[in-house]
Amino acid sequence: MSKTKFIIFRDYFVNDKVQTISLKAIKEDIQNGHFSKAFKTLATLSEPEHDFTLQSRYVALFQSIPPEELELKGLRLAILATSTVDHFIDVLKFWLAKQGFRVEVFSSPFDTVHQTVLDSTNALYDFAPEFVWFFNNYRDVTFSVSFGANQNECDTAINDTVKKFTELWKIIQKNLPCHILQNNVDLPNFRVFGNLEGSVAWSQTNLLRKFNLCLASASRSGVTIFDMEYLSSLFGKNSWHDARYWHHSKHAFSLDACGLVSSQVGALIGAGKRGGKKCLVVDLDNTLWGGVVGDDGLNGIQLDNGAEGEVFLNFQKYLLALKERGILLSICSKNDEDTARDVFLTHPDMLIKLDDIAVFKANWNNKPDNIRDIAATLNIGLDSIVFIDDNPVERQLVKKLLPEVVVVDLPEDPTSFIKAIDREGFFESLAFSNEDSNRNLLYKQNIIRSKHQNQFDNIDEFLNSLEMESEVGPVSELYLPRFAQLINKSNQFHLTTTRYTETQIRSMINNNMTILRYFRLKDNFGDNGLISSLIIKRQAKILFIDTWVMSCRVLSRGMEEFICSEIISMAKCLKSTMVRGKYLPSKKNKLVSSLYERLGFKLIKKEPDGASYWELNMKEPLPKISHTIKRTKSKDLDLENWR
Amino acid sequence: MRQEIINKMNTIFCEVFDDDSLKISDNMTSADIDEWDSLNHITLVVNIEKVFGLKLNLSEVGKLENIGEMIELIFKKINL
Repeated sequence: MSKTKFIIFRDYFVNDKVQTISLKAIKEDIQNGHFSKAFKTLATLSEPEHDFTLQSRYVALFQSIPPEELELKGLRLAILATSTVDHFIDVLKFWLAKQGFRVEVFSSPFDTVHQTVLDSTNALYDFAPEFVWFFNNYRDVTFSVSFGANQNECDTAINDTVKKFTELWKIIQKNLPCHILQNNVDLPNFRVFGNLEGSVAWSQTNLLRKFNLCLASASRSGVTIFDMEYLSSLFGKNSWHDARYWHHSKHAFSLDACGLVSSQVGALIGAGKRGGKKCLVVDLDNTLWGGVVGDDGLNGIQLDNGAEGEVFLNFQKYLLALKERGILLSICSKNDEDTARDVFLTHPDMLIKLDDIAVFKANWNNKPDNIRDIAATLNIGLDSIVFIDDNPVERQLVKKLLPEVVVVDLPEDPTSFIKAIDREGFFESLAFSNEDSNRNLLYKQNIIRSKHQNQFDNIDEFLNSLEMESEVGPVSELYLPRFAQLINKSNQFHLTTTRYTETQIRSMINNNMTILRYFRLKDNFGDNGLISSLIIKRQAKILFIDTWVMSCRVLSRGMEEFICSEIISMAKCLKSTMVRGKYLPSKKNKLVSSLYERLGFKLIKKEPDGASYWELNMKEPLPKISHTIKRTKSKDLDLENWR
Repeated sequence: MRQEIINKMNTIFCEVFDDDSLKISDNMTSADIDEWDSLNHITLVVNIEKVFGLKLNLSEVGKLENIGEMIELIFKKINL
């Protein structure tokens, strides 16, 4: 027995004494009733990589905060698991709180997934979850394939297995208006045939790999594959798979990975409910290239002259990939504008071009002001911006003055920039729409449009010159994803703050008491795509505007008036006596607080929660509504039959 | 050294059951602590493994009668 053995004993948080102190401080804050401060510190302190002993401490502190003290939105999540998930759920609730949600979890009793789904009287269906998560692991997937089987036999076996999953999705989607998350399978950390498993179709390794691909191909709208295989690799398979815990308590993965899995699904659900971040505001010197162009000159900066420059080029490649994915890139740098632009225009190695940038701010103003300008120019909220800067002082200033903006704590070493951004899951998304990939173009066209506007004396002349055309139509499968995305992402131009999943909307398509309309807008600068979603409910002779959202890109162009006259035509066509609108104030939709008033509706009622109801009596003379937008393609609008 | 282990164990128990006044003793069992259910048991084991830097054989852990035996097991593992 040697005394030195004591040294290997881990103290709690021995790697970070600050943590012990912080946790004590948080506990004191909670005891003194400073709940939101305590939660904020806890949220900043906790990292996905922290092990289970730490995560469970965060959970304990989080649970000692009365939930009503935090501004959290309710969210119902059902987890149908084939393994023990109790510890995971506690950690998950904390990480979803970090995303702004107070989660109520329904979990099926251990390994009763099929029974839960198939029994339509099951409590699952009363629970009415917004998300149903099929929490599977590799042990759930077996194939009847013999060693040496040919490709066809393997494919048949895989498809049979995939079908077992898709059948469950269908039942859920038929009965619940929810979004489905489906784990793909985490490949195990053993291979009966060793390396050979990677070369033949019939090995467990390759069957599982192909199963994951086929599961992804089989997924349909309303279903998102949750990539457990990626996470298990990211975590390290030897640590991820702890057979001891599987055999003794049926934990499918290491408890130490709870933080990672929770943070990832949190980012995904957060993005799905709220919309992900839209714009990345990037500094230049020592962020996009090495060195300071104002001091070192165009030839002195590091950009592909050896290892150091290559790191920045690689970072630029990552940013360009994000741009292709639909994230707006903007520049915010303290530089002379010409010097900064010159690098983009003339440096031969520069990958990002001026054309890739939505808004370019190189000046000596303070960065918070510049970021505010960028948000205003792009017409997006500050809370959809992520700020990237190597300078901790600038970061601190932005954090302080613009708390809504997410500031990435960039590591000193530029080789870790990508990892620092990527791990946060800012740009998660439940689905991908065409508008995502065209977003950069759309916003750029908008900036050109506003420059064009300056050439006109009055707004009508300008609007006329745009030669706008709007396409109106009912919602089909083709438009469903974008229609839903717009409703779920819009905050500013959203009169009633409703949110609907694709499945919920699909069920409205076939209900003739509900009228769904999408609006696209085109002008001579380009196509804005689908920019407004409208859900109208027929209540006897009244048309009630249940949901009206519009992209802020097309504000002040007469689109509101156009849509309103469309609603009036509907009312005429259906011989309705009244059009009723509602405005429910939220933190972000002040923009439309007087919309109905502007359109000539009469205020009839104001509720204590601030909700106001507005009416347009179809029997009285209707207000004059003017716009310059031409209406196109109304052939599939079939209201006549509904009278 | 046994006392060192006991002290560490006591800290773990206080943390896991969120009770700073908790004092463990050799003949204490899960029946003596209200919150010591099967879920907290797992949390406890994970914490012990982390703090003492060892991996436990969970079958052995399942057979332990009381905290004293648990400490004995850790003592043996450390001195292997």
